[in-house]
Amino acid sequence: MDTIEFDVRGQLCPATLLVALKEMNARAALPKKGAVKLCFLIDNRDATVTIPESASNMGYAVTVEKKEGHYCIVIAGK
Amino acid sequence: MSILASPLALIATVSLVLGLAAGFVMHRSDFCMAGMFRDLFLFSRTVMMKSFLLLVVASMVLFEAARLGNLLTVPFPLLYSPTAANLIGGLLFGIGMVFAGGCVVGTLYKMGAGSVLSLTAFLGLILGSGLYAEFHPAWAAFAKSTVLFPGKVTVAQILGIDPLITILVVAIPGALLLLSWYKKGALARPSFAAGYLQPAKAALALSLISAVSYIVIGMPLGVTSSFTKIAGFFESLLFRDHFENLVFFKAVPLNATHALTGAVLQGGAAPAFDALAAIQFPLIFGIIAGSAFSALLLGELKIHFRVPLRQYVLAASGGILMGLASRMAPTCNVWHLMGGLPILAASSILFFLGILPGAWIGGKLLVKALRQHDTGACTR
Repeated sequence: MDTIEFDVRGQLCPATLLVALKEMNARAALPKKGAVKLCFLIDNRDATVTIPESASNMGYAVTVEKKEGHYCIVIAGK
Repeated sequence: MSILASPLALIATVSLVLGLAAGFVMHRSDFCMAGMFRDLFLFSRTVMMKSFLLLVVASMVLFEAARLGNLLTVPFPLLYSPTAANLIGGLLFGIGMVFAGGCVVGTLYKMGAGSVLSLTAFLGLILGSGLYAEFHPAWAAFAKSTVLFPGKVTVAQILGIDPLITILVVAIPGALLLLSWYKKGALARPSFAAGYLQPAKAALALSLISAVSYIVIGMPLGVTSSFTKIAGFFESLLFRDHFENLVFFKAVPLNATHALTGAVLQGGAAPAFDALAAIQFPLIFGIIAGSAFSALLLGELKIHFRVPLRQYVLAASGGILMGLASRMAPTCNVWHLMGGLPILAASSILFFLGILPGAWIGGKLLVKALRQHDTGACTR
């Protein structure tokens, strides 16, 4: 499965969440069909709460992986 | 020489330790007051505001218990009678902190963890604090002309009753509400961040830090007078003649006796090493260093400066607005909300009432500004 990555490291809230919401809405059908995963690279700890919460409410499966110096929030279809 | 023999050395040491602890706690829990107020209006998220209420109620109880034990006096120095300036300052501060992505201490702890946007907001804070000096006489006259209840600072003083009564009237319902939220699990915030500290625990830790500061130093946490000192320092170097004519930098508003040592603490906005500098600079350094240490332990101390230019502009303008508002209010959210509100200072209540619509307006404007332009996401 392809992964589309968005690098929003360095940005603060709510910009990180707004980017994630914009990209999730723009590609709403793809992850839900199981065609792609969306991966958001973030270094803002607040976004590890806000993005998963919003994505779950939108019906996506969310996983958060800690990488070196940042987090990768992966959004996929359930 | 023992630090106990030197009141300023004692104060500076205590401030540094409290700053380190506060910076560590704030980074672990991402205890961002700007986010609390902003997300309440922008996303109807209430969990962080519940932690803010816990911070205020816990501080209220700790301060009042300490007052009853003769460990501190109410009100603390540099709190004045309520004026329209508190409300207007709070409103502008609310807009500024949302643009900046953090309040005055939020900016410090995020900067400590490597945020270049927060460093930009910090520079804006310095600039805004200095700009205020240009219109200080006119603003001070306006503030004076709108004073309500001259000579009275707290609600208890205005009503002429024992402070314990006003504190209990607010703290008891507040505590019952918090207890009901706690029982429902509404104070908990699920997070995937490593080493995450629940904001409710952070609120309790910060109320304790604030109480220790109030008891040992004689006042709760404050940082923004030092920003004016930095601004004054650079202005005195660059525009010496103009600086000499600014009355704002000549005033010495702090003139209090330090209860523990009997020393007289004096200080103002002038770029001099006075008592305000001894209190605030170690605190500022501590918050930055405490947060940096926390981020370092988690392997999260990284710097990413490739951020859309618009966000730099927003952070700088937010910082300038906060710097201006901190002097217009006068003083910042930390002083009013973590110090003045828990003793029910009327000026702090007005500041709080101003910051609410400020955060709402700031949120609306920020979302509009961010949506109009590229968000900076790059697909790989």
